[in-house]
Formats: sequence, C-alpha cells, structure tokens
Amino acid sequence: MRKMQPMFRRSSHEMPGLNLASMPDLIFTVLFFFMLVTHMRHDEVKVRYEVPAGTEVTKLDQRSSVVNVYIGKAESQKEGYCIQVNGRMTDLAHLSATIDAERRKMSPENAERLTVSLKADKKTPMGLIADVKQALQQAYALRINYSGREVK
Amino acid sequence: MFRRRRSEQIPELNTSSTADISFMLLIFFLVTSSMDTDKGLLRQLPPPPLEEQPPTDVEKDHVMTVTLDARDQLSCNGTLLTTAQLTQEVMDFVSADPREHVISIQADRQTTYEAYYRMQNAIVAAYQRLRASGGEYPMRIREQKPTEGGGR
Repeated sequence: MRKMQPMFRRSSHEMPGLNLASMPDLIFTVLFFFMLVTHMRHDEVKVRYEVPAGTEVTKLDQRSSVVNVYIGKAESQKEGYCIQVNGRMTDLAHLSATIDAERRKMSPENAERLTVSLKADKKTPMGLIADVKQALQQAYALRINYSGREVK
Repeated sequence: MFRRRRSEQIPELNTSSTADISFMLLIFFLVTSSMDTDKGLLRQLPPPPLEEQPPTDVEKDHVMTVTLDARDQLSCNGTLLTTAQLTQEVMDFVSADPREHVISIQADRQTTYEAYYRMQNAIVAAYQRLRASGGEYPMRIREQKPTEGGGR
C-alpha cells in the first residue's frame, strides 16, 4: 500500500544547491584584470608629499623611461625639504649626477625619451623647484611632468 | 570482469578548491597593485643656457607677463586677477597672435608650488580650449628666473 502523502508538501521540498561551477572563471577574470593593471612599486618613498591638483592633467605612460623625483618633508626631520630620486635620497648638489646615473641604468631607447616626473609637495617654495629644474637642465633631462591629482 | 570495467567511470576532479586558490591570488594582486596612474602636466624645459647666448629681442606687444609674488598673488601685466580670469586673458591674447606671442612666467622664490601649479594649469586650460575649437596654437611660454622675496 502506498504511503500517504503529507497534507502540506512543503516539508519534503529541498533547497536546490547553487551551482558554483562558474565562480572560478569569474574570479579568474578579475584576477587577470588585476594582474594586467598591477605594477609593483619598487621604490620606497621616504618623503612626505601631497601633489597639487589640476584640471588639465594628462596621463603619463611608458613607465620604464620615467624617473621619479620626490620633493617633500622627510619623515625623520621637521624642517626643510628633501629630494628623493627613485629610491634614493639626494640633495641639490648631487641631483644632476643622480639623474645621469639613473639614465645610464636605462636602455638607450628609454634614455632618449627620459621623462622626469616631479612629485613635489604643494607647499614647496618655488625657489627650490627652480633650483631643481636648473639641475635637471644641466643633466639634459628636459622632459618633465609636473605630477598632479586630477579634479573635475 | 569485462563487464565491470565497462561500467567504471573516470572519477571527476574535485575543483572546489580552485575558487579558493584564485581568491588568494586575487587578494594578493589587489593588495600589491597600486592603481595610481601618474598624471600631470607635461612640459619641455629649454636646454641649459650657453654662456655667450645673446638675449633675443621680442616686441613688447607680443609679450604677456604673468607673475606670482611671494604671497601667491597672481597678476598679469601688472593687474591682479584670478586663475579663471587668467585663462580668459591668455585665450584672448593667444588667439590674437597664435604665432608670435610669448607668455613670460615669473614666480618668486617664496611662491608655493601649488600656486605655480594652478597658474600653469590655467595657461594649459586656455590652450586646450583654443585647440578644441580648431587651429594650431603652439605653446610659447618662457620662464624667467624667480625673483628674490619680492612683494613680501
């Protein structure tokens, strides 16, 4: 004899399991996106700086030919501004030699289109910036990028 | 025996951990990626001045002098103005004489970098707006040596 059907069928219902088979594919897609856009930051920034904001900024590409020059206050000291080129601290007197050294590390093609990205704190006096620019001129690093935040 | 083999199925690979592995990789790239695309105003510096370079004469009508004093006050040909007004002034000036004009920039050693950046941004904005409406407008900007604590 057949077992009697329960009056309400609800109790016999089971929740269907969610099919997770496509989840790895989704995650892999996101992963590849980040793998493509990521670049490891290799120089530790030792100065504290906040770049000014502008409306007309353009994107700087070809990272392999860019030398970063940071100008800001060092974390260790309160007074005065410090200059850092890529990973190393330097000063005005040695700036042009340091830029030359960085240029020599690059491949000839990159050295030709060397661009200096000037990441200076917005409170920096122009006297220092002018001195830095003069040193860059001496090193024939003539393409410079005044780094800034974009505002709309 | 023969019959048994037919009924055997290839065991399925357990792929439930793929999601975990790719999640780990994803988190790693999320953490290490720095999305800061370098943005800024790209500029070409003049080559270092030679000793016996005669100063070039430019007619006074073709020159617009933009100055920043030690208190970050912006003035153009002697009158104080805002950055928005500067953009308009530069647009009027450049469109009147696209080939021969010279914009002379003079900052003070005490001017902050932020004020200088805003001025550069305003000038670039003027050129960009002119170029948007068609026509060639070469950027003719000359930077003068910064003054020494003037206007303080």
